[in-house]
Amino acid sequence: MSFEKAAELKAPLITPGDITVADVASSTSVAPPRRVSSRPAALVIDGLRKSFGKLPALCGVSFELRAGERLALLGPNGAGKTTLIRCLCGRTRPDHGTIDLLGRPIHEPGGRDSLGLVPQEIAVYADLTTRENMRAFGRFHGLRRRELNTRVDWAIAWTGLEDRADDLVGGFSGGMKRRVNLACGVMHSPQVLLLDEPTVGVDPQSREKIFTMLDELNQTGTSILLTTHHLDEAEQRSDRIVILDKGQVVADGTIGELVRRSVGPSRMVKIRVNRPLDRPLSISPESNIVIGSRGDDLLSTRIEDVSEQLPRLLSLIKRHGYEVADVEVQAPSLHHVFLHLTGHELRD
Amino acid sequence: MISTVLEVNFRRLMHNKVELMLTFVVPIAFFSIFALIFGNGIGSGTTPKIKVMTVDEVNSPLSQQVVKNLRESAGLRFMRDEQAGSLDRDTATDLVRNGSLTMAIVIKNQNSKLSADLLADSSDQVASQVVTALVGRSLMLAQADSALRHDATPDADAEPNDDVAEDASVHVVDVIGEGKSNPVISMYAAGIAVMFLLFGATGGGGSFLEERENQTLDRLLSTQLTMDQLLLGKWFYMTCVGVLQIAVMFLWAQLVFDVDLLGHFDGFLMMTVVTASAASAFGLLLATLCKTRGQLNGLSVILVLSMSALGGSMVPRYVMSDRLREYGLWTFNAWALDGYDKVFWRELPVAALAPQLSVLLISGLVFLVTARLLALRWETD
Repeated sequence: MSFEKAAELKAPLITPGDITVADVASSTSVAPPRRVSSRPAALVIDGLRKSFGKLPALCGVSFELRAGERLALLGPNGAGKTTLIRCLCGRTRPDHGTIDLLGRPIHEPGGRDSLGLVPQEIAVYADLTTRENMRAFGRFHGLRRRELNTRVDWAIAWTGLEDRADDLVGGFSGGMKRRVNLACGVMHSPQVLLLDEPTVGVDPQSREKIFTMLDELNQTGTSILLTTHHLDEAEQRSDRIVILDKGQVVADGTIGELVRRSVGPSRMVKIRVNRPLDRPLSISPESNIVIGSRGDDLLSTRIEDVSEQLPRLLSLIKRHGYEVADVEVQAPSLHHVFLHLTGHELRD
Repeated sequence: MISTVLEVNFRRLMHNKVELMLTFVVPIAFFSIFALIFGNGIGSGTTPKIKVMTVDEVNSPLSQQVVKNLRESAGLRFMRDEQAGSLDRDTATDLVRNGSLTMAIVIKNQNSKLSADLLADSSDQVASQVVTALVGRSLMLAQADSALRHDATPDADAEPNDDVAEDASVHVVDVIGEGKSNPVISMYAAGIAVMFLLFGATGGGGSFLEERENQTLDRLLSTQLTMDQLLLGKWFYMTCVGVLQIAVMFLWAQLVFDVDLLGHFDGFLMMTVVTASAASAFGLLLATLCKTRGQLNGLSVILVLSMSALGGSMVPRYVMSDRLREYGLWTFNAWALDGYDKVFWRELPVAALAPQLSVLLISGLVFLVTARLLALRWETD
């Protein structure tokens, strides 16, 4: 993402009162519906703190993952996502705070039995076959005999690797390895699944397949906590988003809520005209807002109500003697929200 | 372009400390070890002393003179004082068989002439040649001295004549190796097997680091598997592979080189299981000591080759100086090889393996516990 998208945030915002070429009705915005809201919490993280020496990694992180929910955990590099995932799977001991899984403290014996982990790396044995890997991780998760066989057959079908079940994983494509990696984390039918960037480095087809697999799991009731840097994935494939920055939760809500709370509901409008502008276009005599600049044939601005303001904006352009060649309307995206909340500084 | 390739590779070498060490430090270390072994060993001015005792069956002034001459030899270390009493031939044979002595010198009368039987362990091929020469010389000197003293026309400057030299007969009696295959074969079978056992164990330990690097360890420890179970599972696996590895090696030695494996199966099994388990624990210790596989590779090459050189896997320990032999006892290989030597060469009962089995068992246990303690840091941050 980009400087271009970042620059778009700085485009002038036109409110309904700014365009005076016609009557303006009050604008309304509709938030995307939330799929999960009233279910009990599957995972509750409360006041989690962790420092490595003097370096704080988590500074009081609190949020919930509800039963059956798909939650995307976002954040720039070094935000604390990996530390949080390691705390959840017991590999890092938090300094303060609690984690409850399905109503039980996660550090109790057997507290993590309902938790599945899919690491970012391909954490399977490359020199075992698909079936052997699944059997091994199934047994590590406590499955035995008939249940194990049933789950292995299910996992092979689920991953679509029936014809490669007895091939060594080391010879697989990246996407196939990712699917095996995913399957090995869910052999024990976990109620909560942690995924650390499960689609990194795979092609769009494999990514689609992986998310289809995750949707299938989710439909059977598995709650999913996913970290990713693919913001489009998070936007399209999750019910709720938590953004972490500098060890703290800086946003928590649905995409609609995050948009409303951060960049607002305005839309970016890009209008290409038939010739370069002679001078910037004044939106209304009462305001000082202008769009475009001399010599440009592409005008960018943000409007709050597309249905009412856009026709009037097009009329205004025409009245100034220009023909509209093309119009593009962009809704505010997670990219805008993310950069708005976490800034533009490099974090590496 | 070529110069750029050259520069890039030099720069990469300078950035890689392990490769630098393997390139420059390890060869020097090995050169030093071998220089110490052979520089202070037989053939140099500080000849390692050969452990001997004398059995004087004649007990005459002449035979006592021979013993006295031998005691003054720089190359021999007498394991019993002059005043400690006499020793008989059977006891001396037992002492050679169980490795307390390298050789027993039995002085006897043969056709009214002094002669000597050297009760030898023929696995030490150097010792028998050295002692034969020293005893022959002592016999000749003593007999010549006696002849001169009783000669009517004494000639103080006379050298022992050829007749006397011919009479001074020395016979080497192999008290261990009669009817056996070449002792060097079983020694090298054990030496090579133990060395590769150590390499295999460090390789197995490397898989641990690989799992840690690719997050498989995170995944494993997020299951019901505990670190204790993981370490013990790996230890059992590496021990089983080690036992099989040594068994295959000795089976081959039996088929091709006539080493009697089946005839010594009880001792072989004990030594092999204990050696393989200790080597596996050693591999896990090295793995948990290191942070990366690169570190492990560097450390294991240095340690395994050094231990193998000092411990007798590469050159027999009997050619080393006494001090190096003592150093060798700090290595894993020396105890394992001594145990196999007792099984296959000396054919001692399994009870005689107690020191070797004890040392290997205890060291294996210490390695394993230390590895477990080191692995604590991988469980939680």
